[in-house]
Amino acid sequence: MLVTCNGIEIDRKQVCRYLGYSADYKPPARILSLIDEYVEHAHHLIEPAYSYTIKNIERVEGSSVFIEGSIVFRSRVIAQLLEQCSKVLVFISTIGNRLEKKAYRLAEDGLIVQSAVLDAIGSSAAERVADFVQGRIGEMTDAQGLCISPRFSPGYCDWDISHQKMLFRAVGGKSTGVRLTEGCLMIPRKSVSAIIGIGLRSSNVEHYNPCKTCNKRDCPSRR
Amino acid sequence: MTEDILALIKGNVIQGRVTQDDEGFDEGVVGQPGVSELTEKALARGIGLRDIINKGLTEGMDIVGQKFEAKEYYIPDMLASAEAVGAAMEILEPHLAKSGIKSKGKIIVATVEGDLHDIGKNIVSILLRGAGYMVKDLGNDVSPQTIVAAVIEEKPQFVGLSALLTSTMIHMRDTIQALTASGLRDKVKIIIGGAAVSEKFAQSIGADGYGADGFQAVRVTESLSSSKENKGGDHG
Repeated sequence: MLVTCNGIEIDRKQVCRYLGYSADYKPPARILSLIDEYVEHAHHLIEPAYSYTIKNIERVEGSSVFIEGSIVFRSRVIAQLLEQCSKVLVFISTIGNRLEKKAYRLAEDGLIVQSAVLDAIGSSAAERVADFVQGRIGEMTDAQGLCISPRFSPGYCDWDISHQKMLFRAVGGKSTGVRLTEGCLMIPRKSVSAIIGIGLRSSNVEHYNPCKTCNKRDCPSRR
Repeated sequence: MTEDILALIKGNVIQGRVTQDDEGFDEGVVGQPGVSELTEKALARGIGLRDIINKGLTEGMDIVGQKFEAKEYYIPDMLASAEAVGAAMEILEPHLAKSGIKSKGKIIVATVEGDLHDIGKNIVSILLRGAGYMVKDLGNDVSPQTIVAAVIEEKPQFVGLSALLTSTMIHMRDTIQALTASGLRDKVKIIIGGAAVSEKFAQSIGADGYGADGFQAVRVTESLSSSKENKGGDHG
């Protein structure tokens, strides 16, 4: 199912974080005004699109999850989540490639601050599109008396990035224009692929957080 | 007078101002000449190229490096300074070519096969250029074979490899092995960097150096340049 969602709002604070600023630090005025300038510009460069599918979970055995359509995820973290769920949503979302092309051209012209700012805006926008998808799915499942988990992507925790292939097989990446490289990175780069568990409200999937039992305290993605 | 212009170049590198229209790290300096105008002025006054680079650009970038390490500067602030150095080097390069001043050495940089992350590599490239090296950037997702071919073609003294991901850093080893298999390993010093890698990893794959950030990458390159064991440049 392919949907476009224009009017994505960009979170300037998140852009600052992607630029490396810590949450309690106020960036110099020139950087803040560059962010404002390029956020305006970015609205014309972002072409949000997403595609998703909902699949039945057949069974979970150890750290393997068997999903209809011969899809198998192998990850302890994902298995622990999905054994509490009846269905899994797989989605791919993107902001398209216009923004990253522009950022590349800026860097080529020696405007590396502008390029980095636009790139960070792109990363934020890509997350915002994924947030939008998650919100929409949340509303949909809520109406059915179900709830959804946070989203998880291959390449994080113990979920090998090669599992991107399974996600793309499930969704069919072509509809969003996103493709995988041999190393399973996405092109356009500003794309998100993820799964969301769908379970009963009585389950605890909404608050599933593998970070609580993980010892890697310096992980940049720690929730 | 010479000292004044060089001090202004240094100060504006620290502020990260390319032209007079730029705001600096500190506010309220728009309208004052930036690094581009000051570099032109220095050339017009006949100030030596080495002095402009060493006492203006490099000394300025050294302070930026210190501020970055002290967390007083963040990545965009450092980029602004690097941008100013890049702009100055563009002005200076034709003069350097004419004057016959040799670069400190040639370095090939690349983000390794399978990896598309190039911001870190681009920062290192600019810092190395500012430090007086000739940089040949091969881009991202660069195969070991392409790097081998570039080493044969360009005859660099250094190869800089970057990888952000744990899934792609392994291609750094492949690249080093490919250079070894081609009989080129002892012709170049190999420096690696990127979020996924570490000093320990660098040692385990037989790299010559590791830079945790752009400034360290330059320092490691400098130290390998002066290393007595350096066989770089001997491309027969």
